[in-house]
Amino acid sequence: MKSADLQDEIRELNLAYLMLAQQLVREDREIAMFRLGIGADVAELINGLTTAQIVRLSSQQMMLCRVRFDDSALLGMLTGEGRDAATASLHAAIIAAGKPVETLA
Amino acid sequence: MRNKSVLAEAEDIQRAVEMIRLGARMQMLESETQLSRERLLKLYKEVRGVSPPKGMLPFSTDWFITWQPNVHSSLFMSFYRFMKDTAGLPDLDAIVKAFRLYLDHIDAEDMEEVLSLTRAWTLVRFFDADLLQQATCTCCGGNYVAHAYDPTHEYVCGLCNMPSRAGKGRRSRRIATDRNALV
Repeated sequence: MKSADLQDEIRELNLAYLMLAQQLVREDREIAMFRLGIGADVAELINGLTTAQIVRLSSQQMMLCRVRFDDSALLGMLTGEGRDAATASLHAAIIAAGKPVETLA
Repeated sequence: MRNKSVLAEAEDIQRAVEMIRLGARMQMLESETQLSRERLLKLYKEVRGVSPPKGMLPFSTDWFITWQPNVHSSLFMSFYRFMKDTAGLPDLDAIVKAFRLYLDHIDAEDMEEVLSLTRAWTLVRFFDADLLQQATCTCCGGNYVAHAYDPTHEYVCGLCNMPSRAGKGRRSRRIATDRNALV
């Protein structure tokens, strides 16, 4: 893939991510905080972004969202290793719910 | 206790309707809202179309320790702790939102709803009364519901150390055959 294409892809994904995140936060702040894995301050920040800011933010050269799971056991469960899928997903959800959220430093 | 403020009463009614929709029983409604029993009964019939179930609420903490309920209540409790500690919601709102998250998870995985809203509420009350506690699994690091004052330093959860027939009830077999029939 050419680098210009890659940048387009990143921009698109950033835009989709920010718009979805903002929609989630506006619909239900607490549930969005859980689903996005963010703290109250980041939720507030996303909520306050204007459309122009979202567009400018998403045209960066880097991804704005990152991999949340730095735990190989958790990753294994999420991808469906284990005795059956339903139990693995329950197990993963229990562990994931206890992980700390992203906050502003 | 009668309500003085009309606004507060309207809020209470809205909250009660939401709880009834999610499956709350009368005991929970009576203790979480300021509405009179008669009004709650009327509301219940209007929302559900039937009279509320009678009888006492289940009062044993042991139910939460058996395998399947334990997994489900641990999941709910993790959601509840997030809503309470990280999002800073008051008790009732935290219970309702955590229960919604729980239902979403159950829906997405096509599982049976083991925990009802009233059970979830009872679970939180058991925690407040120090009858149950969260124990951290030494194997996976997740938090699970356990009896209070049980030793927890060597606790291993029911998911890391699954009993041999866990999750293989009559219903799950039926789902499996349904899935095979579809293929």
